[in-house]
Amino acid sequence: MAETKGNRPTYATDFITTDIEKVTFFGNVHIDNMMTTLLAMGNELWVQRKRQHILEALLAEKGVKPEAIEKYVATPAQEQAWAKERDVLVARLWSHHDKNTGEYNFASDWNGK
Amino acid sequence: MSKVFSRRSIMNAIGGTAAAAGFFRPGTAVAKLKKDIEPRGSNGTLERLPTLDLDSYDDFSTATRIWINGDLTRASEQRAAEILKSHGVKPTDKVSFEDTVRWVADDPIIALRSASWQRLQWHMWQELRREFHGNFDAYMSELEAADASGPGVLELNPGIEPEYTKHEIHMQPGGYTGDPFAGHLYHYGTNNFYNGTNHQDQRHTALAGAVPVPADGKVRRILDMGCSCGQQVTALKQRFPDAEVWGIDIGAPMVRYAHMRAVDLGIDVNFRHALAEQTGFPDGHFDMVTSYILHHEVTAAASLQIVKEAHRILRPGGVFYPVDIYPSPTNRSDHGTAIRHVRDWMTHRWNHERWWNDYLTTDYIGEIARVGFTLQDAAREGVGYPMVAPGGPRNPLGIKPV
Repeated sequence: MAETKGNRPTYATDFITTDIEKVTFFGNVHIDNMMTTLLAMGNELWVQRKRQHILEALLAEKGVKPEAIEKYVATPAQEQAWAKERDVLVARLWSHHDKNTGEYNFASDWNGK
Repeated sequence: MSKVFSRRSIMNAIGGTAAAAGFFRPGTAVAKLKKDIEPRGSNGTLERLPTLDLDSYDDFSTATRIWINGDLTRASEQRAAEILKSHGVKPTDKVSFEDTVRWVADDPIIALRSASWQRLQWHMWQELRREFHGNFDAYMSELEAADASGPGVLELNPGIEPEYTKHEIHMQPGGYTGDPFAGHLYHYGTNNFYNGTNHQDQRHTALAGAVPVPADGKVRRILDMGCSCGQQVTALKQRFPDAEVWGIDIGAPMVRYAHMRAVDLGIDVNFRHALAEQTGFPDGHFDMVTSYILHHEVTAAASLQIVKEAHRILRPGGVFYPVDIYPSPTNRSDHGTAIRHVRDWMTHRWNHERWWNDYLTTDYIGEIARVGFTLQDAAREGVGYPMVAPGGPRNPLGIKPV
């Protein structure tokens, strides 16, 4: 049936969830989880590098030298806001480590699926 | 019985009229999308992703996917070949699917290839979903405003979705029917699938350009079946600007997004929420029926019924041009080989192509001839190849006899 959210029709239906989330590829779910972390970290690293490239390019256009970036001292408000953002990053990297099931196994999963 | 809405009934329900909104008059002036969310502007026909971070995620995902499809897949297939050799089997030997999977599945490089694919896909969907669901009201308002905008008709028919259409193909959260922003997810997700080479609908434009025209040259009405987010529909309209062009898809959120995008681009095309095997259009209505990567995502029964439906709704002389992965899936020279089993296992199981095995064993192209089309299919005499054909003589073509 089509769903509504509040009184707004979304035209979305119920759906059949894939079981791939329940699979362990490396025989130990915690190794799988570590791989997820590494992928997320790589992603985050590139996101930040790209933003930094843009920022530094814009700053250079305005005459801000790299030394000024190195020596910058943050305000308390900035520290607080950045800490909040840092915590979101930590959650993104580590929150899936509570996955503790390996209902299906990569090596012996195939059963006519 | 399902309750059926249409653009007209939606407009009447909210107190407007279709005529007042200018919906049903082909060629009316383009209305600007009323609540366009486009904070970072557009790059050609593609709205840039709404945040720099998300754009960078997408960029990273694409690069990672290219590595997976390239170096890692080659390493995985090399390992598969070594393992097969240890069992006295060459990759091109015909062996059982079960034996092949049993032999290769515990290899760490092969596992890494599938795990990388699955995790990358999961990340990509989650990041996109975080944006659209995290700003639910704004994006829903944008869709609602587009629903009530033209040019072009949008017809929604809630409740028509059979169970087989509700799977999370490609692990897309909610699949095509179950997420309110399925069209948003699919569009940006498949940009990633295409390794960044389809941001301007290049593939769809090439395919639309390759569709053969009926012998009498008349192209008044065109239907694209399983149109997803409408890229081929708009491409067909651009090739045939005087034709009435329709796209149908069983995902209501998909056609809502497709309609919104067409409105935003100012392209006068129409969308109906419908099954390809039961379009609801009259007999002999269209001059041209197309589809792109539809048949491998439906059941065997649906695949065959889609061919019958195309024959019913085409007029004599009309053309049917279904394009999919492998032009002739049941006629591949590598059918049943060990290396093909490895690839099919990964596609079906680890990319969650739910109906992949149906696709490989259903002769829907043969059905084109059986239902009464004149079939032109050079691929049946040739060798299948692992990519979606960008057009040309290897794609099957059905011509309805005059």
